[in-house]
Amino acid sequence: MTMNRRDFMKVSTGASGSLVLALSLPGCASVQTGFEPETGEWTPDVWLELNKQDEITFTLARVEMGQGTYTGLTTLIAEELDVDPARIQVKFAPVAPEYRNPFIGLQLTGGSTSVASSWQPLREAGASARLMLVMAAARVWGVDADNCRTDNGRVLHPNGVDSLRYGQLVELADKEVIRGDVPLKPRSEWKYIGKQAGKLDARAKATGTAVYGIDVELPGMVYAVMTRSPRYGGRAQSFNRDEILAMAGVQAAFITERGVAVVAGSYWKARKAQQAVRVEWDFSEALDTTVDEVFEGYRKAASEDPGEQERSEGDVDEAISKAGRVVEAEYEQPYLAHAPMEPMNATAWYHDSRMEIWAPTQAPDLGRIAACRNSDLSPDDVTVHTTFLGGGFGRRLTQDYIEEAAAVAYELKVPVKLIWSREEDMRHGFWRPAMLHRMTASLDGSDLTGWDHQIVGPQVLDWYVRNAAPAQYPWAPKFLYNTLGKVGLMVEGLATPKDVSAIEGSIGYPYQVPNVSVRHTHTDPGVPITWWRSVGYSHNGFAVETFMDELAHEAGQDPLEFRRKLLAKEPRHARVLERAADLAQWGTPLPEGRARGIALFQSFGTYVAQVVEAGIENGEIRVYKVTASVDCGQVVNPRIVEDQISGGILFGLTAALFGEITFNKGEVQQSNFHDYRLLQMHQVPEVVVDIVDSDEAPTGVGEPGVPPVIPALGNALFALTGKRQRRLPLTV
Amino acid sequence: MAFSLTVNGNRHTVDVDSDTPLLWVIRDELGLKGTKFGCGAGLCGACTVHVNGQPARSCSTAIELVDGAEITTIEGLAEGGNLHPLQQAWISEGVPQCGYCQSGQIMTAAHLLANNPSPSRDDIVAAMTGNLCRCGTYTRIVAAVESVAGGVGHYQPGQEGA
Repeated sequence: MTMNRRDFMKVSTGASGSLVLALSLPGCASVQTGFEPETGEWTPDVWLELNKQDEITFTLARVEMGQGTYTGLTTLIAEELDVDPARIQVKFAPVAPEYRNPFIGLQLTGGSTSVASSWQPLREAGASARLMLVMAAARVWGVDADNCRTDNGRVLHPNGVDSLRYGQLVELADKEVIRGDVPLKPRSEWKYIGKQAGKLDARAKATGTAVYGIDVELPGMVYAVMTRSPRYGGRAQSFNRDEILAMAGVQAAFITERGVAVVAGSYWKARKAQQAVRVEWDFSEALDTTVDEVFEGYRKAASEDPGEQERSEGDVDEAISKAGRVVEAEYEQPYLAHAPMEPMNATAWYHDSRMEIWAPTQAPDLGRIAACRNSDLSPDDVTVHTTFLGGGFGRRLTQDYIEEAAAVAYELKVPVKLIWSREEDMRHGFWRPAMLHRMTASLDGSDLTGWDHQIVGPQVLDWYVRNAAPAQYPWAPKFLYNTLGKVGLMVEGLATPKDVSAIEGSIGYPYQVPNVSVRHTHTDPGVPITWWRSVGYSHNGFAVETFMDELAHEAGQDPLEFRRKLLAKEPRHARVLERAADLAQWGTPLPEGRARGIALFQSFGTYVAQVVEAGIENGEIRVYKVTASVDCGQVVNPRIVEDQISGGILFGLTAALFGEITFNKGEVQQSNFHDYRLLQMHQVPEVVVDIVDSDEAPTGVGEPGVPPVIPALGNALFALTGKRQRRLPLTV
Repeated sequence: MAFSLTVNGNRHTVDVDSDTPLLWVIRDELGLKGTKFGCGAGLCGACTVHVNGQPARSCSTAIELVDGAEITTIEGLAEGGNLHPLQQAWISEGVPQCGYCQSGQIMTAAHLLANNPSPSRDDIVAAMTGNLCRCGTYTRIVAAVESVAGGVGHYQPGQEGA
């Protein structure tokens, strides 16, 4: 597998088991460890706090946005600490180097990395703390620590009678020193991993008590709304300030880098006043694009620039020139919105020369950069309190909403909550990029001999590096931020790994074909973009797996057979393909008016094959059933894996059936859920998720459910109608 | 202007603009944050509460239209410290992912069961399909509702928070 940009600065955690594993990272003085006599609290490492009252707190450094880190990561540490996960209090981590995502080098939740990157360090942290507690108990009893066991927060004496609670041991445990490696439990002894099926945050979320960003309330708080340029990049020059300030309840109104802020004592008063805001915009640098022009530009670029060679095996040109048959296809995919249910929002309070931020964010350290961008503050002056996230899907990796709240709070010096309307969320997003794919393949008889895939479009990191590069070097002076961003781009592929956001999933083309070429023609129409659940895999999956289906039909073969014979060297791919096909009873007759389609795609280390059963009812595409087989290595929480895969499937179906953001002269034409539709309950198919039992290290599950379902549905519709759709969203 | 309303059994008087949506009164005047803002246009259901026993989209219900009404929010669904059977089912089925839409989902389901204690699968889907969930928890929602269907006959609309 090619290394993803989001894998960069990956550190090998090894199996050292040292208690100070997280503290061995550079610049880590922000989390005090040890025993605190006054509070009776023992902090063995940056993750755990245990006190004399037997309360255990786990610091969660990967945010909870529905993907299940709250339960999953707690389970990892609970397993080795040997405590029921339900007994552990979870708190969200502050910004600190110790809490950076080791796969990414930023304190960022994304890329389906949370369990994979926490698997070893959190289990080691739990095991180390447990061992110190056992050593302390053994010393008290004068027995050999090797003969003591633990059970749900107690150390058990070898005599089978006596025991000590962890809380009784915390002060003594702090004095213990571990020499050598800390063993981890073998799989056979797991009590919670692979078995824990509940969700630790379900109660809070079923009772309305979970605190999301939008729920934060501070004394004396005011509410802000922002009027942004209808065209990305436009700047406010002036507005009817006097008129707005004269409106009932308006406390402030002023121009910021991001638009015109209106502040009032309540959200509704601010929102009503906003209706009267009239802005003179400077559109000289604003987006002026119409979506058709984007694709025209892509086609022109595709023809003029063969692109950077990203993968090359054999000689595709020769294979194509000598082929018995050449098949060509072009696929178009639109801009997509994330549309999480909680609109963008942030609360900021500038006081005592410090900026405090409360926000639903996937990247709190980037939030610090955004919060100080429009003031003389530095990142160290900014504290970010992370809340529950009402969905993320990549949107909350970009911190524009924190920048806005901070800019307003810096002016007003009182707590400010800034809330976006749904319309603003829909129109001022950063999108999954529109992409164009040109595919050419050669067939000799029924053999696929050549595969040429040209990907045309932008790279996400070009947009993301603005805040990401400074966040990696928060000690750098602010006047260097723009330079850091530019340097970050310049050294891409040299000092940092390559941005594969456009090509991921295509360079990993798994089928055994003698001549393979994957090229990327890099062209950026200036439309703001960011990561979107499964990122490049989302559009590459559609192009690759639809074209494979086309080739199967061209070769006169069953699409399952055609794939299977090209996977002899890819057992994990082949296994999920077989299992999904078997479970879905591939090849057996279906009722009149229904057909099946199949697709296979690996992303974020996880192998997923899906069979979609679809038809057309009352002039609409109807999906009856989706069968998925998943190999994600070892499973921490089976229910969450199932939910993430089925949730990914519905997310992918939403994109396949409805998803499209369009621009007219730079303005987004969609506004709310009536014209950017989400899948509804009555449209939900039966979803079957089959999880392969595995001893491999765990890989991601948040995103890999998305890519295969889109081509699998398209392939089913082709089987039904004989008409091939090469543009999304699909139509009847 | 002053408006009075009874929320989860407690009487309140609020002084707000007459066109203020009930949602913002509940959330910011009364401090009950369990009811969520999703779309502001009655399109997603995240803000669903009961007004005199009927489900309503509080984001698009002006306060002047519900003056004097009995309102029930997610915080008022539990009775005497016991969670509503649906809330219990939501926990045991592990329904929530991000959880943001779930207050509205539960309020819609609670109204369904209050009026139809034994709904069919089709009844459930018909009642619930206006509540959007971006995470895709729909299948677990149906399972959770089915798990308590028939078991909440005691639940009466408008009285649940009293």
